[in-house]
Amino acid sequence: MDVFATNFQTIDWVIVCVYICIPVVIGIIVKKYIRQLSDFIVAGRSLKLFIAIATLTGTELGLVTVMYNSELGFKHGLSAFHVGIIETFCILAIGLTGFIVYKLRQLRVMTIPEFYEMRFGRNVRIVGGIILALGGILNMGLFLQAGARFMMGVTGYSNPAGLKLFMSAMLIMVLVYTVLGGMVSVVLNDFMQFVVLSIGMLIGSLFAISKVGWENLFKAPATVDSASWFNPISEGSGFGSLYVIFMVILTFSAGALWQSGTLRALSAKSPKVAKQLYAWSSVSYLARRVIPMLWGICAFIFISQSPKLLAAFQGPDALNSQFGMPVFIAKVLPSGFLGLIAAGMFAAFMSTHDSYLLSWSSVITQDIVAPLKKDKLSDKSRLLITRICIVAIGMFLLIWGLWFEAPVSLWNYMAVTGTIYLAGAFTVVTAGLYWKKASKTGAKIALYAGLLAILGIGPWTTGENVPFYLSDKFIGVMTFAIAFLGMIIGSLIFPDKTKQGEAAR
Amino acid sequence: MNWELLWKCLLIFTLVGYSLLVIIVIFGGARNIVDMLRDLTKPPDQN
Repeated sequence: MDVFATNFQTIDWVIVCVYICIPVVIGIIVKKYIRQLSDFIVAGRSLKLFIAIATLTGTELGLVTVMYNSELGFKHGLSAFHVGIIETFCILAIGLTGFIVYKLRQLRVMTIPEFYEMRFGRNVRIVGGIILALGGILNMGLFLQAGARFMMGVTGYSNPAGLKLFMSAMLIMVLVYTVLGGMVSVVLNDFMQFVVLSIGMLIGSLFAISKVGWENLFKAPATVDSASWFNPISEGSGFGSLYVIFMVILTFSAGALWQSGTLRALSAKSPKVAKQLYAWSSVSYLARRVIPMLWGICAFIFISQSPKLLAAFQGPDALNSQFGMPVFIAKVLPSGFLGLIAAGMFAAFMSTHDSYLLSWSSVITQDIVAPLKKDKLSDKSRLLITRICIVAIGMFLLIWGLWFEAPVSLWNYMAVTGTIYLAGAFTVVTAGLYWKKASKTGAKIALYAGLLAILGIGPWTTGENVPFYLSDKFIGVMTFAIAFLGMIIGSLIFPDKTKQGEAAR
Repeated sequence: MNWELLWKCLLIFTLVGYSLLVIIVIFGGARNIVDMLRDLTKPPDQN
């Protein structure tokens, strides 16, 4: 069986082309609703519970999410599910307690660094804004690459030049409707994407399970170690205890403070809705992990049954493991439905991009440019700067996505780059909201400490016999620990002289 | 620990739970969109 053989036909192309034009049309239509900056960034803080759930899921269930989770399932088997369980409990805990998100929504901030200024002053806001934008933009650096690999696998189109063209075209469409419609356009597209992708993924899962067989799903293939297929604590699984600890810290902090997700809580109609949003969304956070992992697991079982397919994923010239899931669904889903899934995935790709572009560009405008400028920036100028940033980030993504190859798996790359921002942000916001003695010096040390996470994407993290202290998971955990200690020690040694930030507590 | 049983239960819970959530959100979300667009067309002081 040919690796890139596919059921993708002309009718599937038609479905995809029609479907991905819809967001642009919505962007043009809703432009009339955008009158002020808060309409553009937080949809006028008018989101009610169910649309907020749809848009949070729409953002957090992107094509890249599907790709990195299916890659985890493909490489590590059922043991990968532990990440889903951990994340779900973390999101549920945030929803039930309102930890961080309730207070932030009460304060009516639009970005996380805005809180830094309320609590620790303008300089901390600028430092936090720069680190957030850096971590965030690097984090989405491989989205285009993953999207392109999905397209190659599903459509069977493997010409690299054509691929770059696809990537550029998809990016341009996202830029058009995000620049035009802002958050209102993003919310409507997220809703449409939530409906199509969710139904598609549920039906697709039934196809995948029926192809490999329910019982086979819970038997380790002959080519892998049985214990590591099931048990995430087993070191042979590629995870281990330290990785599990890293996931607990990372998913809890990301759940509360990942800008694109938190933006949904900040856009909610009230603090109570922000809290409910997290409790309800814990189920969709579980689904966004488990369903793509299931597809990856089914893909591995399917591929391991065919020597020719298996050979393509082994050896020095092996295909990247991200190809596993798309190559599988291209062979098992029928034409027509495959087009719908592909369209849903492309829409998911666009939906994640729009939210992330909006998040990071609004951080640059609100938290870096505006505080640095002495004269007050008008709403009109801020909108213009935000739109320029969206285009500039888009250009960076195109260049980075074309040449950078991550030394670790896609998810681990994202976890580490996310830590650049999250280690400092989680420490600073938690201490700022819940610890009276937290000082601006402690906040700055914690934020700078986050930069240590960059070490986790270096070439020294891969290869045979990497010492544990050079592994991405160790670097990730240590970054959080150093940020946390930096905040405590910095605040105790250098307390604030003034009582700034009283209102923010 | 019986990992196989845990992953079986997790998978069934995810597929059933998410199906229910999708149905609820489709109906609730459509109503919310109408409300959101109505709110955004009000004069700013009424928001």
